Amino acid sequence: MGAQSSVVILQSPGLAARRWAFVVGQLLLVLAVCLLSVSVLAQQKIVVLKGGKLLTVSHGVIENGVLVMFSGKITALGTPGSIAIPKGAQVIDVTGMTVYPGLIDSESYLGLTEISAEQSTNDLIEISDEIMPHMHVYDAFHAESELIPVARLNGVTNAIVAPHSQDTLPGQDSLVQLDGKSANDMLLVRDIALPLNFTGEQRRNESWEKRKFPQTRMGLAAQLRQAFVDAQDYADRWADYEKKRADATAKPDDKKGPPSPLKHDLKLEALLPYLQGKKPIVLAAQEPSDLETAVGLARNFNLKFVLNHISHSRPVLDYVASLKVPVIVGPIYEDPRNYERYDAVYSLPGELYKRGVKIAFASYDAHAVRNLPYAAGYATAFGLPHDEALKAITLNPAEIWGVADKLGSLDVGKTANVVVADGDPLDVRSDVKRVFIDGREVPMTSRQTELRDRYSGH
Amino acid sequence: MRRVTTLFSFTILGLMSLQVSAQQTAAPPSHNEVLIKNAVVMTVTRGNVQNGSVYIKNGKVAAVGKEVNAPSTATVIDAGGKYLTPGIIDSHSHIALDDDVNEATSPITPQMMMIDAFDYQDKAIYRGLAGGVTTSLLLHGSANMIGGQAVVIKHKYGASRDAMLFPGAPQSIKFASGENPKRVYGGKEQLPSTRMGNFAVQRAALVEAQDYMREWDDYNAKVKRGDKDAKAPKHDLKLEALADVLRGKLLVQIHCYRADELLTEMAMAKEFGYKVRAFHHALEAYKVADELAAQGVAIATFSDWWGYKQEAWDAIPWNAVLSMRKGVRVAIKSDSGDFARRLNQEAGKTMRYGGATEEEALKMITINPAWIIGVDDRVGSIEVGKDADLVIWDGYPLSSFGVPDKVLIDGDVYFDRALPGFGMPHYREGE
Repeated sequence: MGAQSSVVILQSPGLAARRWAFVVGQLLLVLAVCLLSVSVLAQQKIVVLKGGKLLTVSHGVIENGVLVMFSGKITALGTPGSIAIPKGAQVIDVTGMTVYPGLIDSESYLGLTEISAEQSTNDLIEISDEIMPHMHVYDAFHAESELIPVARLNGVTNAIVAPHSQDTLPGQDSLVQLDGKSANDMLLVRDIALPLNFTGEQRRNESWEKRKFPQTRMGLAAQLRQAFVDAQDYADRWADYEKKRADATAKPDDKKGPPSPLKHDLKLEALLPYLQGKKPIVLAAQEPSDLETAVGLARNFNLKFVLNHISHSRPVLDYVASLKVPVIVGPIYEDPRNYERYDAVYSLPGELYKRGVKIAFASYDAHAVRNLPYAAGYATAFGLPHDEALKAITLNPAEIWGVADKLGSLDVGKTANVVVADGDPLDVRSDVKRVFIDGREVPMTSRQTELRDRYSGH
Repeated sequence: MRRVTTLFSFTILGLMSLQVSAQQTAAPPSHNEVLIKNAVVMTVTRGNVQNGSVYIKNGKVAAVGKEVNAPSTATVIDAGGKYLTPGIIDSHSHIALDDDVNEATSPITPQMMMIDAFDYQDKAIYRGLAGGVTTSLLLHGSANMIGGQAVVIKHKYGASRDAMLFPGAPQSIKFASGENPKRVYGGKEQLPSTRMGNFAVQRAALVEAQDYMREWDDYNAKVKRGDKDAKAPKHDLKLEALADVLRGKLLVQIHCYRADELLTEMAMAKEFGYKVRAFHHALEAYKVADELAAQGVAIATFSDWWGYKQEAWDAIPWNAVLSMRKGVRVAIKSDSGDFARRLNQEAGKTMRYGGATEEEALKMITINPAWIIGVDDRVGSIEVGKDADLVIWDGYPLSSFGVPDKVLIDGDVYFDRALPGFGMPHYREGE
């Protein structure tokens, strides 16, 4: 499509180049717009946000800025003098408002639950076995969940959706966008990562009478090692099989003939991209002892990993920093252990940042996804710089999840996931006024606003 | 050697941070004269005083204003231009009860006294204190239609059990309705397993209490007439407690979610002649706020928690402000150890959802919950004669960024963020 190519040109780096590219881009835009049919034009208008304070995240703050969106992308942004407003564009005056990239939740359960206590509405976890890497969140993701509009009304536009954590390997996460016609539209990356949970809560220790394997951390670790060893063997068997098959094809007269067919094992197959380091494991631990066991296990198998939680690992933060991996932090409101100071978890993000660790916040919730920015805000009261807190719910997660070319900052060429609020995005007092996802302005309504309006006579 | 160093640095830090804390390391806490100056004093009931001072004498607020007359001997705390509020009051808590929150063996257990389970060493009291909470109402859980009688505490972590009890606080009793009782007993194939069953059980208990009162009235009348053969009825602690409900001696706190049940509970109260002090959770209060306002029933609700069960499905974050605008007295409460640690942030949300003013939002975590507990003449605002339960905040308290620097209870510093370890002048771990 013509419009797409103009956007590509607009991606060139450097301000002068960008400005020049914009002029060319504008010409191309006009051309493209002329070529488009009327119906497409109606859907894909140029939208300009004018007069707001742009928190780009990647390159500072632009006061009284202009941001142009077209065809689902940010096509230009800058100071008023540097950006020409395209003719025919829908110009929205956002003077006095803050404009920032859509927020990214690094672990949520959106689309897997509706009413927590109602089991029929939950698709959160398979507890029949601890090793379930062949469970895919996208198979259950409920695009029409009433929880999704509630989350995006507060500026959360993207989320990692993960299974609950009662299994060591509960299944694979998806990255979703919180608007779209269907699940197909909303699932940006279907299998993006595999959680490996080692917090002690995965033990099957209901009662002594009902005990079954794995009842201890030893059992869980042994089971995990066996799973990865099995997957390695499986990969080797298949490689051998493919080789023999290729040989047989190359030498059709060989008496041996083709090898006997192998059976597929979905569970082991699901582990292969992780064993090969193609995708990250999300390694969850809380206490230093569990953390070190889990990291040891990941290293045994050369797994690529990011850390998750580590809320009660204060004594080993230097060790954590030495691992040179990002950490998903939180929930920061979680109570500290009784032996810890009241702010042991609150101050963890700041302490990690000080040690050079890249952090991202997560809601670890479905109904409370909208409160993601407040967790980041609270961390600023305990030593995390404000800019870094915002980064930890935008650009950092985009980088951690490998989608920083599309999400996480206000930059030309990125997906137009843009939020407009009347104040600091991290403050509970700020009201989100507009949300754009893929350049489309989403209606500021949810089941909750409908109830509000019905009972307040709006 | 190491220990000597630790003790030494401890002393130095204590001296540097505050004279108050250095003096108070020795128990019991003394009610010295204290002057807090250079603060934005948010009185709650009488507006804000910029660059204000509060003079504390014998644990009470003795003066508030731009200039106050304090003796030169008073210990001075310079608030450094920060915000000063009354201590936060949590009107719905289950901390410090170990796991003894629900006596879930019968739907009617009004003779349960929460004080019997009060675990005054629970660190949750400390964590609430560090979040600015100075008073909490510790309630029975919601397994029973009529649960047990609450205990009111001050968060003086490190003090003795009895020193933590709020002196002279009225007695509250917890009722519950809806999903929890019917699930607990229905799960055991007992009555109640429906909302019909819930209210039938509650009504039957109150009727039994009425009969019990009549028996005693009858007996007392006979004694008064000089009837020597009159036989005293058996004392029954359960029915005594219910009789106290009917006599209006207990503040009735009702866990209730749905609008229809709010109406039914009010009708039941009218039928039996007692008053409902507050509905707790009350997530659908916004649907029947006019009726609640007309009856003078308060609500203790969440700011934005929802969807955790069916009866929380119609919860909306505008509930607090919509109800308040209709004339309902509204409190934001915790119902959990972790919400209690940031009730200020939760109250701040009401400024966004519905546009509560600063004073309205602050009231929801101070004077309004104090009224629900029945201690609003003692705490909940900064006024002369009230208990000197105060919080100095780093950052604006009704925001994401406000956290307590120091918390005073009855004029003593119980939490000081600048101190090492747990930050408590009156408490040392392992000593």
